[in-house]
Amino acid sequence: MNHPLLGQAGERHLLLGNEAIVRGALEAGVNMVACYPGTPSSEVPDTLNKLRACQRFTLEYSVNEKVALEVGGGAALAGALTLVTMKHVGVNVAADPLLTMTYTGLPGGLVLLSADDPGCHASQNEQDNRYYARFASMPCFEPANPQEAKDMTKAALLLARETQQPVLLRTTTRINHMRGPVTFGPLGEPAPIVPFSRNVRRFVPVPATARARHPMLLQHMEDMRVIAEKSPFNTTAGNAKVGVIASGVSRAYLHDVLMAHGWEGKVRVLELGMTWPLPEQKIELFMRSVHALLVLEEGEPLVEAELRCLAQKQGLPLAIHGKHDPLTRLGEYSTTKIAEALGAILDEKVENACGLHCEELPQRPPNLCAGCAHRSAFYAVRQIFGDDAMYSSDIGCYTLGVLPPLSGADFAFCMGSSISSGSGFAHVSGKPVVAFIGDSTFFHSGLTGLANAVFNRHNLLVVILDNGTTAMTGHQPNPGVSAEVLGEQAAHLDIEAIVKSMGVARVEKVRGYNQKALQRTLEELKGQNGVRVLLVEEPCVLFARRTLKKARTQVAFVAEQGEAAEKCLATFACQAFCKNAEGVAVDEELCAGCMVCMQLSPAFKARKRGTE
Amino acid sequence: MSQKLRIYLTGVGGQGTLTATTLLTRIILDQNLPVVAGEIHGMAQRGGVVESTILIGGWQSPSIQLGEVDILLGFEPLETLRGLAYLRTGGAVFSSTEFTPPPSVSAGKAVLPPMESIQKSVAEVAEKAWFFPIKTIGLQAGSQQSGNTALIAAACASGLIPVSIEALEAGIRKYMPAKLVEVNLKAVALGVEALHTTGKH
Ligand SMILES: Cc1ncc(C[n+]2csc(CCOP(=O)(O)OP(=O)(O)O)c2C)c(N)n1
Ligand code: SF4
Ligand code: SF4
Repeated sequence: MNHPLLGQAGERHLLLGNEAIVRGALEAGVNMVACYPGTPSSEVPDTLNKLRACQRFTLEYSVNEKVALEVGGGAALAGALTLVTMKHVGVNVAADPLLTMTYTGLPGGLVLLSADDPGCHASQNEQDNRYYARFASMPCFEPANPQEAKDMTKAALLLARETQQPVLLRTTTRINHMRGPVTFGPLGEPAPIVPFSRNVRRFVPVPATARARHPMLLQHMEDMRVIAEKSPFNTTAGNAKVGVIASGVSRAYLHDVLMAHGWEGKVRVLELGMTWPLPEQKIELFMRSVHALLVLEEGEPLVEAELRCLAQKQGLPLAIHGKHDPLTRLGEYSTTKIAEALGAILDEKVENACGLHCEELPQRPPNLCAGCAHRSAFYAVRQIFGDDAMYSSDIGCYTLGVLPPLSGADFAFCMGSSISSGSGFAHVSGKPVVAFIGDSTFFHSGLTGLANAVFNRHNLLVVILDNGTTAMTGHQPNPGVSAEVLGEQAAHLDIEAIVKSMGVARVEKVRGYNQKALQRTLEELKGQNGVRVLLVEEPCVLFARRTLKKARTQVAFVAEQGEAAEKCLATFACQAFCKNAEGVAVDEELCAGCMVCMQLSPAFKARKRGTE
Repeated sequence: MSQKLRIYLTGVGGQGTLTATTLLTRIILDQNLPVVAGEIHGMAQRGGVVESTILIGGWQSPSIQLGEVDILLGFEPLETLRGLAYLRTGGAVFSSTEFTPPPSVSAGKAVLPPMESIQKSVAEVAEKAWFFPIKTIGLQAGSQQSGNTALIAAACASGLIPVSIEALEAGIRKYMPAKLVEVNLKAVALGVEALHTTGKH
């Protein structure tokens, strides 16, 4: 198979950080990859998915991160060099196996990619997963550009294989979604499988084994500290009395600040690429060589705290500057913030540019696509339940149902929480609760919540929005995807059969575009008690167009301007609607031809696309 | 070290802003210029704002701060205006004149700023600015999306981006799927023509 990522050593390509991670894994000879998608990690498995035909590795989209890490862990026990990828919050889901895998070790070698999202560009929080390197005891690599993303992925995998211990590769959105030149090393042959030899005193962590493995893990981390001391990713440069210790994307910002302000000669810099365990001797030497020190790390002051400890232990008198306005624990760092912080220490005046400030402009929030069946379902639920019910939402495209006029979300925590937190809320509030959950999320962690709801006799209506794909993160496969689309790769699971077999009292299934059936069924379900499930089936519009190759033959138009059309605009607000001088119009380019608007309002009619 | 240049591209999700960014960045790397590019697109597939950056000349980080941009490529005029805060005084703007209304405007709850006022705001910061109806130009070339290529071609033809039209055409042949090449080459020609016929503002 022919693909730029399978190119020869010495070739240089412009790669996305995530594509560079893929190349690094291929250079290391990765055997097995397991993942659960999530921004900003998804391009790693999705790129590998396109490379399946090269037959160098096995890839699976697991149903959630815990499962992905357990599948990966099992593969690594059986001797495969393994990569497991997920977004930062996914590691919370996978934390249970993770914190014991480091006790047992994994003979084949395993690298966990945690893609963090400072600034919450596409996430529900901005947690700092460098904590997990400390928590679970594993070495951590943090690239600052695509070239390093490739090099460190390879180095991490090779280290994991050599030490038989898991390694953390921690990135942030800027790195995952940055493009830069990457020079290839040789493509590695798939790594030899390490034969498994039974050893219950290592691999079965009963208390006696776990107690015996823990000191070995601590020793391993001391050994890793020696590796960190010599790591080519930890480098010192410059000669000055002001020092900067930087890690992650801050290293790139620092470089650009020094270049832009001509401060190259004014600071001594220690860059940390292998960021856990810290090379303490190297750092101590560095701290002894400077009078003042600035620590640059986005997120939590982890390196900073370690440095303060070290300085105290060694009785070093230097001034340490870390988290302090504008370098806070919030959001991302930037060149301007770093210039300001460093300028203050260097006693240099920095005039950061500031652009023209415009008056308030209309915002452009993300919105459910025109023709999205989620909109139709939210509309129907609102019609039947109005403000009387509480809406327990979940994570997916349908979280966008929070926007008015749908206003179909009152609370949400994390993937899978809709059913379980809806159960608790209903129990205490005594109010009707409607929980919304997508198909991928249902398989991710809705199953357990539903089992619990039935088991504990909770009282809520669960609306499963089955659009046949994992839409939010780029249409990855999940067990709800149709058998035709999954093909040989994976098997389809039937949500309706699963729900019924769980003992849910009342299960109904309707098409997402059928307003009449939706509203009638919801009305019936409203009058009942116990756990009720409404399965709303309709393929995601984008998925239908791109993957199912469904043609959009029909298009809506406004046949009669007036109150009815205006009301539909105000209450349904399809993205294809547009207010203009004549009243309401439908953008033919955007209209998906779902035919929902005409079921809601006589003002809308259908015609064949392309006819006026 | 080569000339330093910071380019900011902005548009609406699903419009092809990132494809255009990647194409241009690849071509710049093919000129052997040091380049990095970045993109921010939270949930952009759903019609949100898509911003990306291209930094030439030795930058290592992909982000750009307010008032730092040399060239702004706006694939949608409201986003051109929103992105204007990134432009440095004396920078250049290449922008579309054809709106994609955001939800509040579609719902009749907000109005779009008139094109003239956008041009006026641009003129307050930019030294040079060009405005084109890129959707129309794209359709003329054969697909609405190819209008993005026309805007890039205009920027290249202006001489402000270190990519010749020949290099742009070669890049399109090298990096675009075969079935899109013809349309995009046509868009290049139309973009160059538009630059010469549209007086700069
Ligand atoms: C633990 C965790 N893993 C991954 C994600 C990223 N993520 C957000 S939504 C989503 C998928 C939603 O798919 P589905 O439930 O089918 O809803 P759809 O987007 O198709 O409407 C994923 C994987 C996350 N937020 N949390
Ligand atoms: S991508 Fe699919 S599920 Fe998401 S908003 Fe668009 S149509 Fe709906
Ligand atoms: S048919 Fe109506 S509701 Fe469906 S996408 Fe078109 S305008 Fe929107």
